[in-house]
Amino acid sequence: MKLVIACAFALVLASAARADAYEEHDYILSCSGCHRMDGAGSNVVPSFEGLRELADRPGAREYWIRVPGAAQAPLSNARLAALMNWLLERFTGKAPAPPYSAEEVSRLRSKPLRDPIAERRRILAPN
Amino acid sequence: MSRLDRWFEGLSRQSARRVSRRNWLSRFGGVLVGGATLPLLPVARAAEKHTVGEDGVKGRQGDPTRCEYWRHCAIDGFLCSCCGGSHTACPPGTEMSPVTWIGTCRNPADGKDYIISYNDCCGKTFCGRCMCNRNEGERPLYHWYRNNDLNWCGGAKTQTYSCSTAIVVKTAKEAQPEK
Repeated sequence: MKLVIACAFALVLASAARADAYEEHDYILSCSGCHRMDGAGSNVVPSFEGLRELADRPGAREYWIRVPGAAQAPLSNARLAALMNWLLERFTGKAPAPPYSAEEVSRLRSKPLRDPIAERRRILAPN
Repeated sequence: MSRLDRWFEGLSRQSARRVSRRNWLSRFGGVLVGGATLPLLPVARAAEKHTVGEDGVKGRQGDPTRCEYWRHCAIDGFLCSCCGGSHTACPPGTEMSPVTWIGTCRNPADGKDYIISYNDCCGKTFCGRCMCNRNEGERPLYHWYRNNDLNWCGGAKTQTYSCSTAIVVKTAKEAQPEK
């Protein structure tokens, strides 16, 4: 009986935690219009599949927050950090380690990229 | 088992003795026609208002061909429901643009906010019927992901704008920040 009560309590806690999660809502409202629900993009917007080739490269972590779509999104630093942790895990298969914090996001988005395409090329260039 | 057989046999013999074939036919016909006309009564139509709509949203559906319809809260364009399509489907001969702008609208029937995707239909010349320009929560061009003056047909094969849809994506956790 005690176990059942403990399980029920854990379930209630887990559902309460999910109720505070805005990642999917923020993705739909602030990303999916252009990048599409499945992240495939279109002939005018890059696909999130392209995130994979940047993963693990030096500079990618900073670049992902400084790109216009992320830096200018109408989201608080904490919500943008949570969204990017969720989004990167979804599209690269690996959550950023350590996860983005609100402070890190605040610092990075205050320095938006003047030329995101050039920065992406620089990150991908062989050393 | 045989008891059930006997009971049914008795029942059918009894009804065969009592009820004429024409009587049965007229009763059966009455049930068929009556059943089909029941939803035409005003009572039945009033009850329908609280059923689930075509895309699963509960509550009063309203008239999607009117600008005042709740899902059109930030639309700017011709309503596809007046142009041979519907508020969720493009008219024949047009293609739905894959990129779109997204906002939230409040459904007055349940007081909840819903995420609405205003996908444009592209490929035929502009429809010209049911122009609707409400722009609630819309922002200027420099805030492009909440702007509807852009030609969102940019992502489609042809860039000719025809009309706009208003598709419910899902329930919103809160209204969009611009409201």
